[in-house]
Amino acid sequence: MKLRVVGANLFVKLISVYREKTTMFFTLAFPIILILVFGTIFMSEDNVSFHLCVQDLDRTKSSAKSIKTLEESGKFKITRVDPALNAARYVRDNKVNLVLVIPKGLERSLMRRMVFNNFSANVTLTYVYDPSSSSVLTKMEILNRVLAGINQEISRTPPFLRSVEKSVLTRKYRFIDFFIPGIIAMAVMTLSLFGTVDLNTELRQKGIIRKLSTTPITRTDWILSNMLYQFIIAVVSTIAMLLVSYAVFKVSLHINAWLPAFILLDVFAFVGIGMILTRFVKEAQSAAAAANAISFPMMFLSGSFFPIELMPGFLQTFARMLPLYYVNEGLRASMVFEDNLAALRDCAVIGCFAAVVFILGILATKWEEGR
Amino acid sequence: MTKGSEYAIEVDKLTKRYGDLVAVDGISFSVSKGEVFAFLGPNGAGKTTTVEVIETIRRPTSGKVTLLGMDVTKKKHDIVRRIGVLPQGFSSFDRITVRETIQYYSRLFSRRDLDIDALIDLVNLKEKAKEQYKNLSGGLRQRLGIAIALVNDPEVVFLDEPSTGLDPRARREVWEVMQGLKQQGKTVFLTTHYMEEAELLADTVAIISKGKIIAMGSPGELIEKNAPCPLLTLQSVDEKVLGIVRQMGFEPALDSRKDIKIRVEHTDDVRVILNALKDAGALYSALDLRKPNLEEVFLKLTGEALRDGPAGGRGAP
Repeated sequence: MKLRVVGANLFVKLISVYREKTTMFFTLAFPIILILVFGTIFMSEDNVSFHLCVQDLDRTKSSAKSIKTLEESGKFKITRVDPALNAARYVRDNKVNLVLVIPKGLERSLMRRMVFNNFSANVTLTYVYDPSSSSVLTKMEILNRVLAGINQEISRTPPFLRSVEKSVLTRKYRFIDFFIPGIIAMAVMTLSLFGTVDLNTELRQKGIIRKLSTTPITRTDWILSNMLYQFIIAVVSTIAMLLVSYAVFKVSLHINAWLPAFILLDVFAFVGIGMILTRFVKEAQSAAAAANAISFPMMFLSGSFFPIELMPGFLQTFARMLPLYYVNEGLRASMVFEDNLAALRDCAVIGCFAAVVFILGILATKWEEGR
Repeated sequence: MTKGSEYAIEVDKLTKRYGDLVAVDGISFSVSKGEVFAFLGPNGAGKTTTVEVIETIRRPTSGKVTLLGMDVTKKKHDIVRRIGVLPQGFSSFDRITVRETIQYYSRLFSRRDLDIDALIDLVNLKEKAKEQYKNLSGGLRQRLGIAIALVNDPEVVFLDEPSTGLDPRARREVWEVMQGLKQQGKTVFLTTHYMEEAELLADTVAIISKGKIIAMGSPGELIEKNAPCPLLTLQSVDEKVLGIVRQMGFEPALDSRKDIKIRVEHTDDVRVILNALKDAGALYSALDLRKPNLEEVFLKLTGEALRDGPAGGRGAP
């Protein structure tokens, strides 16, 4: 191995990507866009506010107060529907997914219960909804919770069962804090895998590899420079993601030595897979398709975007066989939970995997074009 | 074969197969040090496969290839330091400038002392030194490729189809650079399907067809041996001409444009024919007397014409 040769290769790759500003922008921007989009969605989850249409057929002070209570819960922005309209038609014509109908007689029933202690007096609210809407069930569930609270208040009896939340973490973390390590792992994977596949197939198709094979550069020099290049790009991308996360979402993450270690192993593992792919898939387009076939399941099944516990059992088992799962878990263990033991365990798993595929990748990379 | 030290390249019964396809079929030849050796043949004849075996890019199926006294299958590491290669369809990094590209390759060869500006001057790229590769024309790219092939001051330079796909002007510019190499006394191994290129630059030409060498010698020797007669062309002849020429014992060939081609043994024959036509009042619009060339040699030996294939087309799979 000659450091001068490795340095020359590294310079050519870095200067190329620096001059290809559009490519560089999208390379760095893609994970940041994901962070901004998902971060915004998840950050507002605790303060979610649904649009709720209410049709008040009772038109009394009590029904108006009920609507006001719904509004004050902070969960709904209320739109009043003209009592003269047909609620079902209103749902269809106005493309809303739910109309809460307060029936006539609410105030009268309330009086009977409150003043005359007639506990059989009650009123039935109707949910007129569009079952084809994906969010309507969530909306109805929240509405049920708010109505249960109102019932509790009206009955004036303190609840017997109470609950209190106690986090296993010393600090309060938000979903975004768990999300960022997953996105870092995913971004480093795609950069390394596609970077290797794109670079190798392009250079091979253009005949540059053939030319290089008539120079003293060795396979080791070439692979090492490619590795270093991918690592530098991964580090730059990670720094950009972290800066955006801190600036926009004020995340609480622990940056320690595990972060570069996991990035390095992530790069090793997926540069290795990229090298194996380009050995067997010759054309650039086929290689990109093969890289997609590997990266997409990895992206969605390994827990980068959402916890694998949400998936069926067999998919959870499958997820635990994916290398990216251990990068995700390791980064979360170190950056969120500060659990060094768990990080070490995940590091060992991804380290073994990276070593095996990287060695296979080296063996798969050939200068000569066959016997 | 004489002593190895006289030759830069010695190829003995080289065969290269790709599955059932025999790309190179037991060829033998040698290239003396300091000579320009041209491999002439159509696309798919086995030129590139042969040269890539010599360059250590491919491994032979059988046979022995020695470059500068070293076995190409065993001494790749030593060989690549002493050769310069312009591969077929040369390409480089799009966003890297001419100067940076030469600098990059000089680093691969650990040539810290390389005078990059002198090399840029040699291939007439001074004005384009700061231009990125993607902005260069085909001719400029090939000249850069030649410059790269020279960064390690090689003893043997391989130029695989250096002017394929170039316009005539760019081709001439590349030829000028190659003539410069010849003057420097470099051993040059040139593969081409342009007979003018081989004729102009080569000391020795080997004609290859379907994986076999079918003739070898200097361009003059090949022409003298295989197509010694000049060709007289009379354009837009009237009907009398054909009969008169035939009566004189020549074998004229008439083409669809009413041009006739007459193979003559001596230039005196031309004067005799023209006088006879003048006396008979036979008319023609123009005449052309052409000395035989390698195209005709190839035509005679293979029955096929040397034609331009697709630019950058590769013989080997």
